[in-house]
Amino acid sequence: MEVGLDWTTVLIAALAYLSALFAIAHWADRREAAGRSVIASPTIFALSLGVYCTTWTFYGSVGRAATLGIGFLPVYLGPTLLMLLAPLILRKILRIAKTQRITSIADFLASRYGHSPLLGGLVALTATVGVTPYIALQLKAVAVSFDALTGGGGMGPAEGPFLDHGFLIAAVMALFAIVFGARQIDAAEHHPGMVAAIALESLVKLIAFLAVGLFVVWGLHDGLESLFDAAAARPDLAHLMGSDPALGHAPGGNGPWGAWVTTTILSAAAMLCLPRQFQVMVIESVDERHLDRAVWLFPLYLLLINLFVLPVALSGLLSFGGRIDPDLFMVALPLGGGADWLALLAFLGGLSAAAGMIVVESVALSTMLCNDLVMPILLRTRSRALARSADLAPLLLAVRRIAIVTILLFGYGYFRLAGSAYALVSIGLISFTAVAQFAPALIGGLYWRGATRRGAIGGVTAGTLVWAYTLLLPSFARSGWLPASFIADGPWGIAALRPYALFGLEGWDSLAHSLFWTALANIGAYVGLSLFDRPGAAERAQAAAFVDVFQSTPNGTAPNGAVPLREAPPDWRSAASVGDLTRVVARFLGPQRAERAFAGADPDEPAGPERLRLAERLLAGAIGGASARVALASSVSAGAVEAAELLRMLDETSDVIAHSRELERKTAELERATDALRAANERLTELDRLKDDFLSTVTHELRTPLTSIRALSEILHDDPDLDTDQRQEFLAVIIKESERLTRLINQVLDMAKIEAGALDWRIETIDAGPALTEAVAATEALFLERGITLSVDIPDRLPPVRGDVDRLIQVVVNLLSNAAKFTPPGGRTRLETRLESGFLKVTVTDSGPGVAAKDRELVFDRFRQSGDTLTGKPAGTGLGLAIAKRIVEHLGGRIGVADAPAGPDPESGKGAAFWFTLPLAANTADVPEFGVRRE
Amino acid sequence: MSAPDREAGREAGQDAGSGRHRDRMIGLFLLAAAAFNPPLLGIFGVEGRVLGVPTLYVWVFGLWAAVIALAALAGRTR
Repeated sequence: MEVGLDWTTVLIAALAYLSALFAIAHWADRREAAGRSVIASPTIFALSLGVYCTTWTFYGSVGRAATLGIGFLPVYLGPTLLMLLAPLILRKILRIAKTQRITSIADFLASRYGHSPLLGGLVALTATVGVTPYIALQLKAVAVSFDALTGGGGMGPAEGPFLDHGFLIAAVMALFAIVFGARQIDAAEHHPGMVAAIALESLVKLIAFLAVGLFVVWGLHDGLESLFDAAAARPDLAHLMGSDPALGHAPGGNGPWGAWVTTTILSAAAMLCLPRQFQVMVIESVDERHLDRAVWLFPLYLLLINLFVLPVALSGLLSFGGRIDPDLFMVALPLGGGADWLALLAFLGGLSAAAGMIVVESVALSTMLCNDLVMPILLRTRSRALARSADLAPLLLAVRRIAIVTILLFGYGYFRLAGSAYALVSIGLISFTAVAQFAPALIGGLYWRGATRRGAIGGVTAGTLVWAYTLLLPSFARSGWLPASFIADGPWGIAALRPYALFGLEGWDSLAHSLFWTALANIGAYVGLSLFDRPGAAERAQAAAFVDVFQSTPNGTAPNGAVPLREAPPDWRSAASVGDLTRVVARFLGPQRAERAFAGADPDEPAGPERLRLAERLLAGAIGGASARVALASSVSAGAVEAAELLRMLDETSDVIAHSRELERKTAELERATDALRAANERLTELDRLKDDFLSTVTHELRTPLTSIRALSEILHDDPDLDTDQRQEFLAVIIKESERLTRLINQVLDMAKIEAGALDWRIETIDAGPALTEAVAATEALFLERGITLSVDIPDRLPPVRGDVDRLIQVVVNLLSNAAKFTPPGGRTRLETRLESGFLKVTVTDSGPGVAAKDRELVFDRFRQSGDTLTGKPAGTGLGLAIAKRIVEHLGGRIGVADAPAGPDPESGKGAAFWFTLPLAANTADVPEFGVRRE
Repeated sequence: MSAPDREAGREAGQDAGSGRHRDRMIGLFLLAAAAFNPPLLGIFGVEGRVLGVPTLYVWVFGLWAAVIALAALAGRTR
């Protein structure tokens, strides 16, 4: 390259750009603190996902397109496909991360598999090792693009094994990452400033890419058509426009196949499992619904940034042939075309991509390393020293900063060691394959309740080991750090162990080959070990909490009733003092209980797990398990209260209480209904019994007169010589018995009619006097026959009443015949009337045995017989009083029985007074609805 | 922080409303997965241009854009 920019200009521009990014981040952080978040927007969220596009995209895609045509695309189609499944997978992950308060993918997997620190540490370590080549890629890209822009080696004395560009860039990036991500400890691992900067960075690299693309297509060529025409004219370039190179069919031969599908799968998995993607997509997500827009906006971003990749690649190949590394076309083409400012913009776009990737990745990795690897080890080995420390934040910051520096040193080391042997994309794909090892445990853990900790650890370990053997070690070999024979002949010359053709699996793309073997080992171990594992209760509870996250109740109880974890939080942040615990317990339970719980302890003393458990139990009793944990955590990591989260949990807890109250109410209702049903059932059984009794009574009553009628008729029939008196007597009996039968049948029919409501009523204003007299006349014979004195006391002028004459007569007849039936011969019966507050009261008093108090309600039930007390067998049909009661009530009156007042027969001292009332006609104006039954 | 409030409002409506949306997205995923893979790509990876642009390029990007548009539509008309 003949031209170049002054390296100081480039350096100043780069530093100015990075400073601007930092200023944005700082501003966003301040806005967030002021409660006016700039990142609470679905567009910002989608743009921040653009951190997926690193220098790999910016420089590497062009390089890949220069050899594979559209073969650069699967890396972007994979994430597009994954985003289409966002409503299924990502939403669930987001929800889980929120409810479980996840801080990284290592934390996620560890939490899913029974809070396994081993798994967390393993994932953190694997991610760090796996992503190292990826960071090297960024360093390499920035270094070579800087060289390309400045004409190479422009930095003068700054050459040497440890002070070359790569090292300087790594140092600047480390500083940048520390400033961005490890300035202070945030309990929730939220970095709004970083997200804002990433979103802006995504925009800058997109604009830079599009600007270069437009310049190349319309500045260097006359549009797409002429560019493709020119390329088509070159036989060595024409094939790039077809599908053969991308699909692994090299022209004129059978190239290694499987690259396209492999890369698609790997990139989809990486979109989910890369620590930085998990960070921006899950950890930094402020609202689940932002996904809805990201589902299409992020793929659109990917499409736009890839639009000009092939044109730039073709143009570069046309312009430079093989003189310049295709990875650098993005800078070289504008520079060659005389557009220095555009080259600088392209460089800034690439720098942007690198900075974004390195910052987020190293922040995510350092969080993981700190929380899931270093702190658990420190807590185990140095717990006493840690417990003495009041403020752990400085220690944590130190651990994270060291982690960031270490990660970048690793990246730099790999860059020095192996970076020169590969194109950018190949390096990145090695990392993709490494992080893809988390995918089975991650996705399996979302849907398969039976997946266990041992399965996950086994799967990740096996997959990672196979990855290291089939991709990482060969990359060392290709860069000369291991003998080249390692690849060609296998270790110790064992052909079956050749890393690119394991067990003789030849003819595959090295990635496809590695993906096949790692997937086999990983999924095989994961499924196999899980199937033969018996997880503990705590692990099963955690599994249920993840798999059933959408059904789980707010206080963390899984729907199957699994017990929420009640162990002390394994979190290092729980290094609280007794004073802290007392305060938080007092806040929820009142100071007395708090004092009692922690009596005798120095408030400044560290709480320790025992007291933490106690506090959690106390709080859980009051506000539920999940809230208790949050309350504890918030009280303990000072400043990170997250009141909103706590309030939400509290709200949900009260929801649950309200629900349970509702449930109790419904249970009580149900019990009442059950009681009512039981009572109704008992009554039905009783009625059934009564009906049977009645039927036997009725048949008996019917048979008795029938028998005598028949006997007498037969005598009359067989003995025509019977004398006339005898004959007359017999006939009289027959007539009397027939009348009795008729009466009985009439009563049964009446009762049935009344019951069915089919009786004809003629309710009108009537004079009760004649009706009563008529009834007396109808029954007089009865009394006479039995030798009972019937006295009647009816005034001459009774006020008119509302009623039905025929029915009124029926009632009185029933009462009188009832009295006649029960009054012993020689006794007395009296009928009298009285006026009583708007009603006419008719009373029939007898000198019979009376009605016991307990039977007074029952005698009016149909089929009730009380005659047995006197004669030992029923004395009637048991329908007379029941009919009377129904008639009276239909007429708007009441009916009842009392002891005879001083009796008409003072000697016996017994007797019953049956009474009923009828509304006076004058009264009906006030009581229009007197027909209403009273039960 | 109004996130919790918004969260609460979502719970009830989510399952009924998004079931269809989810199914559509899965369908779209299957469609895209089939279309973006070797057999169909091979068919379009032939000589020929559309407005000067290679058929394959038009096919891939056109399809990609269509998938994105459908994803956006599926989210809007749920």
